[in-house]
Amino acid sequence: MRSRPFLAGSRLSFVPVMGIIAVVLSGCVGTVAWDRDILAKQAMSLNTHPLITALHDHIYFSKEGSSGGRTTDGGGCGCN
Amino acid sequence: MQLRRSRRGRICRTLGLLTANLFVATGVQAQDSNALPSHDASSADVRGATDDTQTDLGMTRIDGAILFYQEDGGRVRTIEPVLSATFNSTSGDVLSFRFTSDTLTGATPNGAAPWTGFQTFTTPAHAPGKTTTLTGSSGGSTLVTIPGIGTVVRQYTTAPNSIPLDTGFRDQRYAVDLGYSTQWNADTKLSFGGSASIERDYTAITASLGAARDFNHKNTTVSAVLNFEYDLSRPYFGTPSPFTVMNGNPKGAGASKEVYNAVLGVTQVINRRWLAQLNYSIGTTNGYQTDPYRIISVVDPVGAPLQYLYENRPRSRLRQSVYLGNKISIGPTFVDISARYYHDSWGINSITVAAADRVPILSGLYVEPEVRYYRQTSAYFFHDYLLGSQGLPTFASSDSRLGRFSAVTFGAKLGLKVFHTGEVYLQGERYNQSGAAHPPGVPSGLANENFFSGASSTSIIAGYTYAFF
Repeated sequence: MRSRPFLAGSRLSFVPVMGIIAVVLSGCVGTVAWDRDILAKQAMSLNTHPLITALHDHIYFSKEGSSGGRTTDGGGCGCN
Repeated sequence: MQLRRSRRGRICRTLGLLTANLFVATGVQAQDSNALPSHDASSADVRGATDDTQTDLGMTRIDGAILFYQEDGGRVRTIEPVLSATFNSTSGDVLSFRFTSDTLTGATPNGAAPWTGFQTFTTPAHAPGKTTTLTGSSGGSTLVTIPGIGTVVRQYTTAPNSIPLDTGFRDQRYAVDLGYSTQWNADTKLSFGGSASIERDYTAITASLGAARDFNHKNTTVSAVLNFEYDLSRPYFGTPSPFTVMNGNPKGAGASKEVYNAVLGVTQVINRRWLAQLNYSIGTTNGYQTDPYRIISVVDPVGAPLQYLYENRPRSRLRQSVYLGNKISIGPTFVDISARYYHDSWGINSITVAAADRVPILSGLYVEPEVRYYRQTSAYFFHDYLLGSQGLPTFASSDSRLGRFSAVTFGAKLGLKVFHTGEVYLQGERYNQSGAAHPPGVPSGLANENFFSGASSTSIIAGYTYAFF
């Protein structure tokens, strides 16, 4: 039996992937230094509140079977 | 003329400062790598709740917060204060320090299956004594001396038709995180980190090394972080041997595990309003990963408990995940959308999708509603119970965190800019897990029992951050 090609027959997966590729190929990615007024705002930071993020990561690590992704994930006990 | 020249000079100086801020801020944001995070460009601007563009360059930032966490049904309660200090040099080097303390009390599922009658559990005692009620928010445990032997054990009894909870649970944890990042050259940043977490029965030590390099006029940042962790588990009563019968005898010595983890990431400025981050994470854990306090019921064909065995998990685990984060400015609001796909060698696959939108309300005040959805499949060795008529599997655990479930979080954050570089913030959320209460094929005597022991909780975080020269 032949294996199913990646994303074959999946329109929902195909559309966003092609969208990302289209954006990349269009040459529109990035901006010039003098056009970064919005990017420079604190609200555009990928992690605006590090302590809240750390506390939430601790809760989810303790209550769910998966962890990590955004940052490195360690071991820990998570026994409670 | 003099007035005109003076005004022009002020404008030039202002533009120069703004341009410098933009270069610095964007560079730092694009390198929002995985070391101990700091407020990257987070001085407040009194003009608005979301317009601040100044950086912390040359400043020290103090950030303090406290978490109040309570699970439904008198289960785990946590109070967790956190304090961090970040020292930013004028050359871009950053030294950060974080101290965390948490106190856990309450009740937690012990892993046994529910039953129509009372169930009594016997474990080794923490300390010698006569009849003493231990800490517990929804009942108590009793220390008893077994006649003839003299061994002091702890016993607790759970009510019929309920998830058995161990109420004699209390823990205190202290953790310290250190991070240092330095600008190696104009495009490359190196980061070093370390942490230590100490509980009465558990110690974890980590060390990390990271590098991030800018490309494409600082529109693209490629980063890599390596992390090593060593954990030592020292259960109160020793480490039980897997699949041995739960009893009051002292157990074996402590056990350890090692964790190696790497995260490779790309942060990309998509356009003037859109910043994206794509990470691939891979980690391997080797060593003791069993929960020493958790048991699993062995039941007869009707479902009545025959005995309780200490659970047993594999000693190795390989974890991988792909994470996509986005920050997008839409009108006056800032949208945060992220997704993660996770897979591990224990058979757990999960997806996580989260979204938040920061909306300015008044000058200096904003609100940020948040929603998160999580769903996971079960580990291949997850069992609600074991049948006495069948042989033992190689591994088995009834921990709901290894079972199939989904979880939804609704929350909101309020932030108020104060004192030019400060912010008071308050965040609250409600977290609900849901799973199969009545798994198919259960023995007739357990048909009406609720097997799902997942948690639902409410948490509140209050904090204040401030930067100064």
